[in-house]
Amino acid sequence: PDGTKKRRKKNRWGDVSENKAAGLMNLPTAITAPMTAEQLDAYVTHLRVEEISQKLRINDVVPADGDRSPSPAPQYDNFGRRVNTREYRYRKKLEDERHKLIEKAMKIIPSYHPPSDYRRPTKTQE
Amino acid sequence: AGTKSADQDVGRVLCLMNMITPEELMDTEEADEILEDVKEECSKYGGILDVKMPRPSGGSRQSNGIGKIYIKYEAPESAQKALAALAGRKFADRTVVVTFFGEEYFDVSAW
Repeated sequence: PDGTKKRRKKNRWGDVSENKAAGLMNLPTAITAPMTAEQLDAYVTHLRVEEISQKLRINDVVPADGDRSPSPAPQYDNFGRRVNTREYRYRKKLEDERHKLIEKAMKIIPSYHPPSDYRRPTKTQE
Repeated sequence: AGTKSADQDVGRVLCLMNMITPEELMDTEEADEILEDVKEECSKYGGILDVKMPRPSGGSRQSNGIGKIYIKYEAPESAQKALAALAGRKFADRTVVVTFFGEEYFDVSAW
């Protein structure tokens, strides 16, 4: 009965040592101070933005083997170069997630400043 | 239940954050796998009484608790050990953030 079943992803846990972005962002991850649900939400939003920023900076964007989703059909530009490479797709995905989180952070955190390397995406493509 | 006063800071319930997105939870199979992975890892730190992972239902994707996973251990020492060990770990390429959570809220699923 295994034939039709979706392949199970490998265990999602990784070690602290493999977590490059976490080491760089230098933010506490064991929270022992009492915080309200709103404060936690704001903190985790901020932390995820910083995490994505570090990933983009050190180019740690492609997930480990087991966490990858199936690749879409390749797309090429006018010069025959592949546009939707794995790295491009994951980078784009992280940038989109970061954009949404920053919009949220600006609403819920007074005086929030987006990371300095953040550019609001423009509406037009290319 | 007694009237045992619980210090909010050191209880036996943990809240794990920044691990999952509402989108992943929409996929029942994926959500089940996530829960399995979490239970397996968390049980390494002591006996678990209950695990709750609020899932999106109906139209509301963004309700309190969604995206978080709550673990109730038998002993506060286990919760403390797990907090120290799990915080900062990687879960599906995201950094795990852990905090204690009030047992009385956990029991009634008040996120």
